[in-house]
Amino acid sequence: MKEIDFEHKMAAHCESGTVTALLNHKGLDITEPMVFGISGNIFFGYFESSNFSFPTFIVRNKPGSIRKNFGKITGVKFHTKQFKSEEKGREYLNSLIDRNIPTATQVDFYYMDYLPEWQRVHINVHFVTVIGKNETKYLVSDSYFPEKATIAVNRMTKARFVNGFMAPKGFLFYPEYIPDNINLEKAIIKGIKKSAYNMVKLPVPFLGIKGMRKFAKKVTEWPKIARDIDHLSHEIMKITLLLEDQGTGGAGYRYLFATFLQQAAEKLNEPSFNDMSKRMMKIGDNWRNISYFAAKIGKNRDLGPERLKELSNMINDRADEEQVFFTDLYKFVE
Amino acid sequence: MKKDDVYVDFKPHQLVLYIEQDDESYGPLLTGSFMAKNYLDDYFEKIEKWEKSLREQLKKGEISPVYYYMILQEYGEGDLASRAGVSKRKLKQHFKMENFKKLKLTRLKKYAEAFDIPLASLFQLMISKPDESDKISIKQMETDNPYFIISKVELA
Repeated sequence: MKEIDFEHKMAAHCESGTVTALLNHKGLDITEPMVFGISGNIFFGYFESSNFSFPTFIVRNKPGSIRKNFGKITGVKFHTKQFKSEEKGREYLNSLIDRNIPTATQVDFYYMDYLPEWQRVHINVHFVTVIGKNETKYLVSDSYFPEKATIAVNRMTKARFVNGFMAPKGFLFYPEYIPDNINLEKAIIKGIKKSAYNMVKLPVPFLGIKGMRKFAKKVTEWPKIARDIDHLSHEIMKITLLLEDQGTGGAGYRYLFATFLQQAAEKLNEPSFNDMSKRMMKIGDNWRNISYFAAKIGKNRDLGPERLKELSNMINDRADEEQVFFTDLYKFVE
Repeated sequence: MKKDDVYVDFKPHQLVLYIEQDDESYGPLLTGSFMAKNYLDDYFEKIEKWEKSLREQLKKGEISPVYYYMILQEYGEGDLASRAGVSKRKLKQHFKMENFKKLKLTRLKKYAEAFDIPLASLFQLMISKPDESDKISIKQMETDNPYFIISKVELA
């Protein structure tokens, strides 16, 4: 098998992990929290959409925005391409591997057969880096798997060309130009400003802090739309999965963002960001308590109105904390 | 949180969490999944219950295989409709056997692709007794003909 010399590392999140690994490979020394923070990706949104099987929430910005925002803010240029034809998409990816270019591609997570079955769900916004191939298989570096993994060419092609919500259309990218002198200080400030703006100033009723409050209100109504108590238990326990297990670095990216602020404090020599970092870590601990609570009441089927109200209050408390936190953070960088 | 608060020993499902390290700096920790370690049995129990209940409805003709697989694979209706190339209204019609049975082969193939199953699995379920499931293996092999598979039954 042809294999590109590429350092495989697990990461908290697939997109920030993929972008970071590709930048590291191209010679830019930068951490995953820094890429996540600069791209302004800490977020919250509550969605009721037919694209999901049940109401759900997100704790990061739109898929693709880590690469896009990071590039825009730092001047790094990414080569990107989408395809109408499967065959052309496969040939193009193969030609990049032949030229020794590790290439990230967007896939339906479900087809990543090397992961345990309970982890794999249909979601079209997973990113892996292709780092080798032979006639029948690709070699990939996936942020969610401890080792380099292989996947059959036909499975990978299917994963890249499925239809549906946010269909990948074979999307791929790699960094093609990194400026010599990136102004990291300026980039950090821009990332913080974007993050804080998204959380407290976006005028959309289901995004940012407003989204958290909507989630807190709506979760008490979930029994009305669940098929039965087991389904309700499943959806309540998915809160824990979304916060902890689906590539967030824990506590719905709050720990990753706290780490970014700590690293920002050092880069900018700005001790106040250290204090903010500690506050965010504490907020993360409180989100993690929600994770433990949701898992426990879900497992015990202890899902009566009082218990869901308790969960709702916990979410509202996080909204209160983050309202103050991100307002303070915005003032720092305004 | 610190390492001792979050570390879970569970090799089959690993992930990276960011934690407070001993020197008070924050950084990554490779750990097992807390959810997978503690709640997998509960997860599989629920899936099994759903499958049995949906299978009963399917046997009685109360639901179609499209509905059966959609629920088990946790598809949103909008997402599945888009993958199968139908409107949401049409998709809902296909939840009923009376409409499912009128579907063209090409449409059925689209559904099978979305569910990542052979076309034949829209018309049959292959099951074994629970205590014998590890003694028999059934491999469904694709052929060059996208409308035809070979199922190979072997003693494991």
